[in-house]
Amino acid sequence: MAAYVKFWGTRGSIPTPASWTRVYGGNTPCVEVRFGEAIFICDAGSGIRELGKDLVERHPTPKPLHLFISHSHWDHIQGFPYFAPVYLPATQIRVYGRHGNGVSPYQLLSGQMSSDYFPVSFKDLGASIVDDDLGGEKIIDGVVVRAFPLNHPGGCQAYCFEKEGKKVVYATDNELEIGAWDVFPDPGNTGPLRRCPEALVEAMEGADLLILDAQYDDREYATKRKWGHSSCFSATDLAIKAGAKSLALFHHDPESTDRDIDEKVQSCRQRAEAHGANLTIMAAREGVELKL
Amino acid sequence: MSGVDATITAEARILRRERERKRHSLSEFDGNVTQRLITLNREETVMGRAPESHVRLSSKRASRQHAFLRVRGTDCVLVDNDSDNGVILNGVKIHSAVLRDGDVIQVADNVFVYHED
Repeated sequence: MAAYVKFWGTRGSIPTPASWTRVYGGNTPCVEVRFGEAIFICDAGSGIRELGKDLVERHPTPKPLHLFISHSHWDHIQGFPYFAPVYLPATQIRVYGRHGNGVSPYQLLSGQMSSDYFPVSFKDLGASIVDDDLGGEKIIDGVVVRAFPLNHPGGCQAYCFEKEGKKVVYATDNELEIGAWDVFPDPGNTGPLRRCPEALVEAMEGADLLILDAQYDDREYATKRKWGHSSCFSATDLAIKAGAKSLALFHHDPESTDRDIDEKVQSCRQRAEAHGANLTIMAAREGVELKL
Repeated sequence: MSGVDATITAEARILRRERERKRHSLSEFDGNVTQRLITLNREETVMGRAPESHVRLSSKRASRQHAFLRVRGTDCVLVDNDSDNGVILNGVKIHSAVLRDGDVIQVADNVFVYHED
């Protein structure tokens, strides 16, 4: 069975509509993963608005939806009140995510719709919205879904979707920290692969597609350590170590122009080639759908 | 409202309509030479090996109805019709994509550059 992955929002931090973000897009994170009839939505950034319109058009009789929240920072939840299916009584949405500080993502989604922030109350939404729990791993509509932790201020979690040999990993907002032993910066790609957490390499092993935080290049990362995001070179190294088939650079910096992102892709491809890796590298781009 | 004011308003409306009406086209390349210019003025343009295709592809690697170019609002969307050899956008195999000016599309042995204005 083929898996389909569509990017609805790829920008990190804040929506960035501009002439120079026209190619890769300015909406914040939202990725749709489909296996047959099963629809999984990763994050509810501003990109979820367009997904909602598309779902309503695609499925006049609503399909059950599964929404996975990586963490509750604004750019990952801000689109939820504008997600058209939540206003349709026939829609069923199950929400999954980590419970940070004892608060569930469901509570955070509803909290951002209090009257101080938004005119429509969460309790007045038409859809049936259910707080669910993966408990680490769960089979949903025949798809094995696993969650694992990432390195981000306040915590964050990745999701792995796997069925019949197709594996997709969504792992945004993750800092692959560079240690004293790593070659950094490494503009000529002459150094060995950087060290990556073994748990991540194992969780991502053999993925058909890795969607990884690659907000910065090495130069940018040098001034933004501990901000919770990675250099695209480190993301490339992780993908190589995991033996992934393809890598989508994700969570583009709001300051990155389309040209900057093209250059990152080019540099990462050179790095993979220098290491003899058979890895397809692209930048996640709004409106692009992949078939795996 | 004076006659002059009315004229200005009418012109502004015309200009706005023009701005919202995007023109989509492809130029086909062979090496550095443009082989043909194709205006995408249909709601759906079919690319393929079948004789009735709007953009005829002669390569044996092309499927009969290989891909579609669909105009949706101001966007043009490229969709692979589950072809045998796929559709490549800027070097990456895709299933579908909203096109942007300057995108390079490879379908079988043919290479196109997408333009919008």
